[in-house]
Amino acid sequence: MEAIEGLKDIFTGEAEEILQNLEPDIVRLEEGSEPEVVNRIFRSIHTLKGSSGMAGFNDISQFTHKLENLIDKVRSGDLKVDGGLIDILLNSMDWIKMIIFGSDADAGGDKKNKLKEQLLGQIEEYRHNNVPEKLKIESAVGKEITDKPVAYKSDTDPGLSSYNEEEKPGYKFFRVRTGFKESIFKNGIDPLIIMEDLASLGRISTRKVDRTRLPDMKKFDPENCYLNWDITIRTKHTREEIEDIFQFVNDDNQIAIEDLTTNYNMPDKLSPHKIGEIMLSENIITENELSNVLDAQKTDGKKIAEIILEKGYASREDVNYALSEQDKIRKKIESSTVRVATGKLDTLLNLLGEMIIGQSAISKAAELIGGEEGERLKNAVYGMDRTTREFQEQIMAIRMIPIGSTFEQFKRFIRDTAKDYGKEIKLELEGIETEFDKTVIEKINDPLKHMIRNSIDHGIETPDERIKAEKPAMGVISLKAYHQEGNVYIEISDDGRGVDKEKVRRKAEKIGLLKPSDEISDEKLLNFLFLPGFSTTEKVGDLSGRGVGMDVVKTNIEQLRGTIKIDTELGRGTRVIIKLPLTLAIIDGMLVRVGKWIYIIPLLSIIESIQPDKNDVKTVEGRGEVIYIRDRYVTLLRIYELFGIAPEHKNPWEGLVVIVESNGVYLGLLVDELIGEQQIVIKSIDSTLTKSRAISGASILGDGTVSLIMDIHGLIGEIGH
Amino acid sequence: MKNFGNRTPAKEDEIIKEEHQHVTFLIADESYSIGVEKVREIIGMTDITHVPNTAYFMEGVINLRGTVVPVIDMRKRFKMETREYDAYTVIIIVEVKERLIGMIVDSVSDVVNIPISTIQSTPNFTAKIQTDFIEGIGQIDNTLIIILNVELILTEAEIESLNLIDADKSTMNNQE
Repeated sequence: MEAIEGLKDIFTGEAEEILQNLEPDIVRLEEGSEPEVVNRIFRSIHTLKGSSGMAGFNDISQFTHKLENLIDKVRSGDLKVDGGLIDILLNSMDWIKMIIFGSDADAGGDKKNKLKEQLLGQIEEYRHNNVPEKLKIESAVGKEITDKPVAYKSDTDPGLSSYNEEEKPGYKFFRVRTGFKESIFKNGIDPLIIMEDLASLGRISTRKVDRTRLPDMKKFDPENCYLNWDITIRTKHTREEIEDIFQFVNDDNQIAIEDLTTNYNMPDKLSPHKIGEIMLSENIITENELSNVLDAQKTDGKKIAEIILEKGYASREDVNYALSEQDKIRKKIESSTVRVATGKLDTLLNLLGEMIIGQSAISKAAELIGGEEGERLKNAVYGMDRTTREFQEQIMAIRMIPIGSTFEQFKRFIRDTAKDYGKEIKLELEGIETEFDKTVIEKINDPLKHMIRNSIDHGIETPDERIKAEKPAMGVISLKAYHQEGNVYIEISDDGRGVDKEKVRRKAEKIGLLKPSDEISDEKLLNFLFLPGFSTTEKVGDLSGRGVGMDVVKTNIEQLRGTIKIDTELGRGTRVIIKLPLTLAIIDGMLVRVGKWIYIIPLLSIIESIQPDKNDVKTVEGRGEVIYIRDRYVTLLRIYELFGIAPEHKNPWEGLVVIVESNGVYLGLLVDELIGEQQIVIKSIDSTLTKSRAISGASILGDGTVSLIMDIHGLIGEIGH
Repeated sequence: MKNFGNRTPAKEDEIIKEEHQHVTFLIADESYSIGVEKVREIIGMTDITHVPNTAYFMEGVINLRGTVVPVIDMRKRFKMETREYDAYTVIIIVEVKERLIGMIVDSVSDVVNIPISTIQSTPNFTAKIQTDFIEGIGQIDNTLIIILNVELILTEAEIESLNLIDADKSTMNNQE
């Protein structure tokens, strides 16, 4: 029983991954049924079928069997693809998800069974109504339709599928070394005929002629056979059939036949995963042909496989074979990865954090030791420091995941949602290989979804409106990810109607955020959109427009220590730019002292630090204490007051004021001393400990004490600016 | 449990089947105990970092080999008079609901086996502390030991602490 539970867990994880990749592929199918995509879908469903059966999800296994048959028909071209099929497939995914991830409470529900029956009905229907025209005629003339329209019957043996692994071209490689005796001609045997027979069984991959026995011309006897062959042949025939060819010479000639198939399929060939290279290594095409193909590709940009077919360098069968080999290699590469529980990674990161802390303690101690010994210790620590930094980078790299699959899953979301709104929208992706910290990937999903929903609902117009505005009927939403200056960016843009800034302004005035006389920058104006309850849409949409959401999006992004910005042009579209830190676990921080306590301020938030003149510190009514710096007033915040601790200096002109900024708001923090910059490993603190938004976490200093990390954004929020 | 390897866990003459192992400690000269399974380890007094905006008895956070752990002053928790920490003051690290919390107590005395038969629930027992924090009273060598309901003490502490913070916050929000 326990083993089954274990299997179930493994299956659930696997299924989640498969489904995540499957959905975008299904949507892609709608854009054009490329054989590669169809094959991928087929394989994914096949895997689902197999592993669901093993994990005891017989329902899924039987169901996916039906799906598999359906896709198989698509694959062989016996079935055409239209929106109906895509719907069936997507709904099937939903049903599978329901079964796998649904809670036990609704496991017995009729709903699931109903949906299943309905889907199965649709699958059958589709199979019989969507045969391409020409096949219909053919079958009407002669061929019997193998799949009779029968009502769905529970398939008791899910393993009996029409899918047959053996159908794939399975070539073998044999190395044949002949050792014909010199007198072979005298026995009336012509080795050349034998070799020709051999060549007829397949394709000669390599051939070498052994001329070592060739004597001096003087001794040359034209009636002797001096030459021998070393040949590798690629064939579908068996070893026995090869041996048969040599059966008349086998007795008194040495014929060595060696099966090299495994060598030819070994992982050492993992590297040539380009289709051309595969075909070259399989001797389907020659090097000359390959370079011709590559040249041709440069000029017309077609796929290699297509060009090879066009040029007639290989048969379709060979190309398909090479494609399947390519796939095998890909799979091998994939399987050379290890799945690691994220908890283990976190532990590793924690331990590394400990190392960094320990190291900074050592380097502090090293400074206390004078003389040559101290110098040597310092150098040693310095050397170690570089290693730990690299170590840290590597661990961080493990935590990095490409954003691709997160982006991909929106394909389906956009398809479904756009349909609901009667809009035509395609999704364009850019920078899918850009890597993000695992935590970011996990938390960015909801905000992205929300903003895409906004784009669909408010941004993209209906096809009619778009045509009137002289835009293509099909709207475009694009998701873009990229790295820049130590940050990662995600942009969500659409080519829709854009945000009407005047409307935003009117709304802001209406709810009292602005006076009609106020001047405000576009950036600040658009920032109002992130306020709770701020919505300019008159009608409340099904999904968005209720004014909740953008503020949640903003909060989520800020939790990731990121920022969000809107850029829009009326009639042209809107772009939302999210900026996120590269890593969430380590920051550069400035250590400051207040009384006996040390706090960490993220370096990114710090503008400068000053000791103000006594005359520049003023009290302004309604704003409290301010400091006059460079023609502007900055609100002064006494950290000791906020945190309830005893400071060394109460007067700003005796202590130091650190000017910090977040989202355009400046603040002067009164501290006693700046201690220095340091790399800070962020430790989370129990969320129930303090709800102070001014504290975002803690870190452990070189001397082992805990120091709190200040969150400037939260701090500004908390004091109400 | 590795931390108690050097201690004598039970006296040999106590061959009573059902016993419960407890860590006993002193707060204001009174013996208290908690089940040993809840105790992760016991450490000496260490630097405590003050955390703003917390409940009165939340002393702050400490570094427990790289983990930041909140600590509670038990004297403050029980509304007793506070006193300076000394060489005997220890922090008992307990695990409650998968989280670590440190309890500052005057001193730790022993790990003992309390026979379950001697444990009595005493609703009318007069103690210096709130009675619902008490799980029962055990007896070892004629000494009464107050067995604490550590989960209640700590989870309630959290709730109180949060309420207190929320109260602070609402006044803060009103200013906005």
